[in-house]
Amino acid sequence: MGLAPIIRIENLYHTYQPETDQPIQALRDVTLTIDEGEYVVILGHNGSGKSTLAKHLNALLLPSQGEVWVKGWNTKDPAQIRNIRSTVGMVFQIPDNQIVATIVEEDVAFGPENLGLPQPEIVKRVDWSLERVDMLPLRRRAPHLLSAGQKQRVCIAGVLAMQPQVLVLDESTAMLDPLGRREVLDIAQRLNKEAGVTLIAITHYMEEAVKADRLVIMAEGQIVLQGKPREVFAQANHLQELQIDVPQITQLAMALSKHDASFPGDILTVEEFVSTIRKRIEDHQPLPPRSTNGRQAVGLNAAPDRPPKSKPEPPGEPMIEMTDVTYYYMRGTPLQVKAIEGINLEVRRGEILGIIGHTGSGKSTVLQHLNALLVPDKGRVTIFGQTTGSARVDVKAIRRRIGLVFQQPEAQLFEHYVGDDVAYGPRNLKLSREEVRARVKRAMEAVGLGFEAFKDRLTFSLSGGEMRRVALAGVLALEPETLVLDEPTAGLDPQGRRQLLDFILRLHDEEGLTLVLVSHNMEELAQLCDRIYVVSGGQVTMSGTPQEIFSRPDRLRELGLGIPAVTNAIYQLYEEGLVHSTATALTVAQAVEILGQVLNEQPI
Amino acid sequence: MSSQFELLRNVTIGQYIPTNSVVHRLDPRAKIISALLLVLAVSFTRSILPVLLMFVVILLIAAVSKIPFSYLMRGVILGLPILALVFAVQFIFQGWAEPAGRVFFEWGWIRVTRFSLQLISVGLIRILCFIFITSLITMTATVTELTHGVEQLLSPFRRFGVPSHELALINMIALRFVPTFAEEMERVMKAQASRCADIGGNSRFWRPDKAARAYLPLIVPLFINAFRRAEELILAMEARCYIGGDGRTNFVTLKSSRRDYLVVAASLIFFIFIATFPWPSLWDILALIGIKGL
Repeated sequence: MGLAPIIRIENLYHTYQPETDQPIQALRDVTLTIDEGEYVVILGHNGSGKSTLAKHLNALLLPSQGEVWVKGWNTKDPAQIRNIRSTVGMVFQIPDNQIVATIVEEDVAFGPENLGLPQPEIVKRVDWSLERVDMLPLRRRAPHLLSAGQKQRVCIAGVLAMQPQVLVLDESTAMLDPLGRREVLDIAQRLNKEAGVTLIAITHYMEEAVKADRLVIMAEGQIVLQGKPREVFAQANHLQELQIDVPQITQLAMALSKHDASFPGDILTVEEFVSTIRKRIEDHQPLPPRSTNGRQAVGLNAAPDRPPKSKPEPPGEPMIEMTDVTYYYMRGTPLQVKAIEGINLEVRRGEILGIIGHTGSGKSTVLQHLNALLVPDKGRVTIFGQTTGSARVDVKAIRRRIGLVFQQPEAQLFEHYVGDDVAYGPRNLKLSREEVRARVKRAMEAVGLGFEAFKDRLTFSLSGGEMRRVALAGVLALEPETLVLDEPTAGLDPQGRRQLLDFILRLHDEEGLTLVLVSHNMEELAQLCDRIYVVSGGQVTMSGTPQEIFSRPDRLRELGLGIPAVTNAIYQLYEEGLVHSTATALTVAQAVEILGQVLNEQPI
Repeated sequence: MSSQFELLRNVTIGQYIPTNSVVHRLDPRAKIISALLLVLAVSFTRSILPVLLMFVVILLIAAVSKIPFSYLMRGVILGLPILALVFAVQFIFQGWAEPAGRVFFEWGWIRVTRFSLQLISVGLIRILCFIFITSLITMTATVTELTHGVEQLLSPFRRFGVPSHELALINMIALRFVPTFAEEMERVMKAQASRCADIGGNSRFWRPDKAARAYLPLIVPLFINAFRRAEELILAMEARCYIGGDGRTNFVTLKSSRRDYLVVAASLIFFIFIATFPWPSLWDILALIGIKGL
C-alpha cells in the first residue's frame, strides 16, 4: 500500500548499562523498514526487546550501533529531534503516567505548545484531535474523572495534535478492559485507514494482530519472524517456541486441519471460520472427521486447556454469603455514588467462582466485601457464619482465612528482601519465628520461587512476573482457605499468564483452596470456573455455570462483554442452522467435538 | 468504619465552589493581585477599627461570590490551632506591655489589660481575615486558573531568571497527581490490611520509631510507584517534544476586561486607604460619643 519507507532501521544494536560489568544487550542487529501508511504489529514476550525498539523510533533512545532514519532524518542528529518526535507520536502503556494537565483540552494542547505553534492554530488542532478520538464533549473534564479507556484516548489526542505521520502504541491497550481496548483500537485503526497514519502497535493481544498488514515477531533482541498475519500464524509450532499465542479461532482451524488436511488451518477471524464451514456444508464437502482425541489440548491457549467440569459437583457449603448488599462511595458528601445495589452472591467451599464485569461495574466493590474491607451500607455479608460490621467480629481472622490479592499486587511490595516481604502477613499474625519461616517457605514454593534461591534476593530486582508471584506468596503465607484474585493475569505476557494460572490451579486441585477469580479474560474464565456471576451497573445481571452464561452471547454483548472466539463461532453456526447441537463450546476441544457431531449427522 | 479507607472524603481545603458569580468570572490575574493587596492591607492594620472594616469588606466579597458562610467557617476549623496559639501567646506575654491602660484582671503574673485585649482581638481578626482571603480565592478560582494566572504574572520576570513556566508546570503536575496518589494510597492500605496489618492502629506515641515502622508498608510502595510514574511521565513529555519553557507558546490565553482593571484599582485604593488613613483609636471614638471609663 505504501509507496515510500517512512522509517528505516539498519543493523541496530542497543546495550543498556554499557559501562558496567553486566551490560544488557536489548537489541541485536535489527534491520526493519516501515512504509508510509502501513499497519505493523510487533509481538514478543516480555524482555524480547520490542519496547526498546519502539523507543528508537522517536529518538527516546539512541542506537549503540547502527542507524535509525525517520523520513530521512537520522535520530542521532540532535537538530532533528523536534521534527522526529512530532512525526512519530508515541502512546505508552499506563494512561495516568502520560497526562500532564488538570484539564483534558489543556493536556491535548501540551504537544503543540511545545512546538511553539501560534495560539489560534493550537486551538484548531485541539478541537480536531479531540473530535478524532470522540472526546469533544468531555474537553473540560478533569482527567482523574475519566475511565482508563477515555484517558488513553486523551493520550492519543495529545499525540495527534502534533499531526504525526506515524503513531506508535507501546502496549497502550494492556491496562484496559475489553471495552476500553475496543475504543482505542477502533480509533487507531480508523486513523490508519482514513487518515493514512502509519500505525505501529506493540501488543500481547492476538485480536489486534490479525488486522495488521504485517507482523514482526521479536525474541532475545532480534527479529525472528515477519510477514502477513496469515503466514505468521501458520507457523504455530515455531510460535510456541517463541512464547507467542495464536488466536483461539486459528487454533480451532488448525485442530480441524490436523484431522483433515483439506481444511484450511490459516483462518484468522470468526467470520472467516463461519463462512468456511458454511461453504463446505453447501458444497457437501466433508467436515473433518470426529476426532478420537478431541480433548487433547492444542497447547497454545493462554489458559491451560483443562476439560471444564461437565457434571456439577455436589455444591460445597457456602463460606461467604452476600444478601441484598448495597454500598455507597463517599457516603454523606455531595459526591455520594451508589457503587452496588441489592447484590446477592455466595461463595461455596471448594469451587472456582468467576466474577465478570467491565471497569466501573462495581465488581471491585463486591470483591472488597468478601474479606470485610468494606462493610455494606444496606444488606448483610456473612463470612464463616459471622456478619461483618458487628463489633464482635474479628476482622483479622476473616482476612487471614480469605486471602485477597489486588490487581497488580507487585505494586504493594515494600521490603528489601523477598523473604521479608512474604513474611509480612505471618508476622502480623504474631506467629513464632519457626512458624513464620515454615510458612514463607511453603508459600514461596507454592508459586515456584525456591526458598533458598529467592529469600535473600532484592525484591525490586526481580522481573514483573516474579514480583507478582512474590505478592501472591505474601497472601498465601497467611494460609487462607479462599483466595480472591482481582485480574491475576493482567499485564503479563502469555507465558507469564499461563505459569501463574498453573500455580493457582494447583493450589485448588491439590490443597483444596476455594478460588474467586475476577477477570475480563473470557477465555480464561470460561475454561476455569464452576460458576460465574456477571456484574454490571452495580447489580448481578446473570449468574450460572459457564455453559449457561456463554449460551447467551447477545445478552453478554449488550452488557459490553465479549465471549470466547470459539463459543462465538459455534453460536453463529447454530444461528444459521448449520450446527444443531445446542451445546455451548467453551474450549477448542469442545468446539472440535461439536463440529465432529455435525459431520456425523450430515448426509454426505 | 466502612469509610476508614476513603481518603478524599474529608478534604475540603482548596475546594472550588462553582457558583459562577461575578467574582468567579474575574480574570485569575486580577483575583490574585487583589487578594495580595488585601492580604497586604490586613498586615498594615494595627488598631481595631481598620481590622473590623477589613473583616466586613471580606464578608461582603464572600456574599458577592455567593459562597455560603458555613463553607467559609470550615476553613476556620483548620486554622483553630493557630488561632489558639496566637491567643495564648498574646494573652501570656502582652499583659505587662506598656502603656497598659486599664487593668481588668490580675492573678499572679497573668494580667489582662485594655492594651492586651486590643492586641488579642486585632490579632485574631487578622488571622481570620487571612484565612478567609485564601479560602475565597480557592473557592472562586480553579487551581488550574490560578496556575495560569501566576505563570502569566511572573512571565515578565523570565528574563531575570524567574522560571515562571517551570514553576507553573510543576504546580500543574503536582495537582494533576493528587487524586492519583490518593487512590493509590487507598489501594495500598487495603492491600496491606488484607495481609492482616493494623494500619495506624496500636501505635504508641512514646515509641515513634515503632509507629513510623508501621507506616513503612504504605510509604515505601507509594514512593516507589511515584518514582516509576515520574520516569514514565518524563518519557511521555519528551515524546511530545518537551524541552523546557523556551520557545513554547500558550494554549490558554487570559483576557482582561475593564472590570478586571477596575477591581485591581479598587483594591489598590482600598489598600492605600487602610495603610495611610490616620485611624483614631476605638477609645477616642467611644469617648467622643460619651462612653468613658473603659
